[in-house]
Amino acid sequence: MAWLFLAPTIVGMGVFTLVPIVASVLLAFFRWDILSAPQFAGLDNFAEMATDPTVRVAFGNTLAFVVVAVVLQLGVALGLAVLIQDRLPNWLRVFFRSAFFFPLILSAASVSIFMKYLFNEQFGVVNWLLGTVGIPAVPWLTTPFGSACVVALVYVWQNFGFSFLLFLGALSAIPQETYEAASLDGATGWRKHRYVTLPLISPTTLVASVMAIINALQVFDQPYVLTRGGPGDSTRTAVMVIFETAFQQLQFGKASAIGVVLMLVIMAVTALQFRLSKRFVFYQ
Amino acid sequence: MGDSLTLREISRRTALGALGAGILGATVASWPRLTGTDIPGRNDGSLSIAILGTAADAAARQKAVDAFRRLHPEIKVRVQAIQAVDWKDFFSKILTMVAAGNPPDVVYVATEGAQLFAEKLAHPLDEYLRRDASVMAEYFADVHPSLVEAFMYRGSLYQLPMDWNAADMYYNTKVFADSGLSRPADDWTHLDFRSSLAAMRRANPSSFTPYYWTNRLFGGVVPWLYANGTSFLAEERATGGDWLWDRFYGTDPSRASRSGGYLWQTPNADDPRVFETFDFLRGLVKDGLGVRPEEGGGNSLVGLFASGRIGATPAGGYWVQGLSQAGMGPGDFDVSFFPRWASGPGAAAQRHQFGTAGYAIMKTAKDKDAAWEWIKFSSSREAMELIFSTPTTTPARRSMVNEALYSGKGPAHWKVFYDTLDRFPATGPIPAPPQQAAVETALIKNVSLAVSGDEQQLKSALASLQSDLELALRRTA
Repeated sequence: MAWLFLAPTIVGMGVFTLVPIVASVLLAFFRWDILSAPQFAGLDNFAEMATDPTVRVAFGNTLAFVVVAVVLQLGVALGLAVLIQDRLPNWLRVFFRSAFFFPLILSAASVSIFMKYLFNEQFGVVNWLLGTVGIPAVPWLTTPFGSACVVALVYVWQNFGFSFLLFLGALSAIPQETYEAASLDGATGWRKHRYVTLPLISPTTLVASVMAIINALQVFDQPYVLTRGGPGDSTRTAVMVIFETAFQQLQFGKASAIGVVLMLVIMAVTALQFRLSKRFVFYQ
Repeated sequence: MGDSLTLREISRRTALGALGAGILGATVASWPRLTGTDIPGRNDGSLSIAILGTAADAAARQKAVDAFRRLHPEIKVRVQAIQAVDWKDFFSKILTMVAAGNPPDVVYVATEGAQLFAEKLAHPLDEYLRRDASVMAEYFADVHPSLVEAFMYRGSLYQLPMDWNAADMYYNTKVFADSGLSRPADDWTHLDFRSSLAAMRRANPSSFTPYYWTNRLFGGVVPWLYANGTSFLAEERATGGDWLWDRFYGTDPSRASRSGGYLWQTPNADDPRVFETFDFLRGLVKDGLGVRPEEGGGNSLVGLFASGRIGATPAGGYWVQGLSQAGMGPGDFDVSFFPRWASGPGAAAQRHQFGTAGYAIMKTAKDKDAAWEWIKFSSSREAMELIFSTPTTTPARRSMVNEALYSGKGPAHWKVFYDTLDRFPATGPIPAPPQQAAVETALIKNVSLAVSGDEQQLKSALASLQSDLELALRRTA
């Protein structure tokens, strides 16, 4: 009977997760253009991938993006959560909770199209606002640094709400007596956060960072719509290269090989996080 | 049981069983939805036709579909509009449909994808054209051979041009007049063009942009390369195609120069004239006369141009309807030929770039004869007048590019659109080999860097373009 109840989940996982993973891994050892029969290629796809400068740059960009986006996302989320938890009345907390979570429910593609208009060098609102205080127009989307900044900003703006909610939940679960005890011991302001808040929310920080890193490693929508990976390859990401290799260059085997490597990177980073967490995460 | 049944008497097992039965029933009931078999036209033998556009574009085709059905009541037709930013995305979507085992029978394909389809996906039209030559003669007599040649691939024809657009130069007449400029001469040069931009720059505030261009395969850097007698890919011609040229264009003055189609097999980004052209554009950006080009189809351009914030931009006849809807009157804007290069081998030819589009029959089409009947009907004057009733593009039939089409909308010199082919016979299609997507990516990703920095950055971007193109062309499509 138990198997019967588990069946929908098992079938769902099998059909929509395990089969595609196994198929991708197998496909990585074949040459396939959809239109003709796959041909066994051994490790050729991996070798080709390793020598493709675009793939190397894309992985480098992705890792750099992860560092910047995750630090910003968690930093902003935690900072705002602490501010809102400490200083605001309940009704305002509810308002900000909704306001910060709202971008997450929007389509990333729609948000990116909107942001593209906002950050247009000649006609965008952002440069118009900067112009009102005498700052000359910034080429946001047409220079490597500017476009990388915009992609990171848009991504963080859209995604920090989830981490924010996690942190807010963790903060509200900290007993008030703990802070009172810390106050009696002479702790104030920053020291309370450093020695009480951060250790007590460290399990949440671990969950938030694992999820943030996994998501950031798979970033696609924002750079694809905002910059198409340019200028040059400056905002091209690993998933974007997978998409282009598969559906534009018709190299499904090589795209699968890139996907397999990305999956291994994600698994390795996640495993490393859990391993390191033993040193930094404090469970009550 | 009956009235005495209470909630307590329903065991957990019964409740769960009922829930399971309910889920099973719901699944069975919604099976057509889950499997997509309830989509109108699917699996009912309809001829499925994919076009780039919105549901409104599909609806606009309905008049033509109705007229076709009156002629061929035995052929059901289903037009499926696929939304995409540009043709590259549209082709990706078609490929996913192929991968999913649900390809359309007929696809509206632009020059960008013509060779990809010809090489991998499309069925040649040769046998049908030979069979129906007497009917088709009237169509070819009305369509410029350059458009047809763009759809030739290694001696076979894969599509009939339905509409097309050349990269001509639009300008805002009020901005021109306020800047002391009059209509450009037909043979104006790139230096005249630059002087015009400088005049607009002087007469307008800094928020105004004299020249706006987008970074894409059509209307980006390529028309400038063509004007300078070069391109980023070496252009060759395939042999063959005589069966078509002799039959339909035997008396055309350009007959001797027609081929079995274009071939782009070698990168050419290291050509000094490519450097010269990019350097010219780099100068425009550096001096604030033109923007650093962004990627995309330039959707915001119509509004910006209509509000007088842009002086000039390259575009085809497809822009007229949009400008009219944005509030521009017939005299508020005009169009001229693209400038020629002032000197050098390309100067006399004043070569323009064009793109065209038409239906391709998929190799996998269930009923190719029915698909051909649709294409043959679509190429008729009757069908094209139904589909191209407003100037949202330039019809492939010369006779349809007339006063009536542009009446009340402009521009005054609408004749420029078709004259681009008639007056400049060297005018050529968008360079798009079967590896178009990789080639386009290589071009686009290097253009911004090439025109945005110093001379060293330009050299480095062109070197990168050359090596990216080598890699792209080495791959099979």
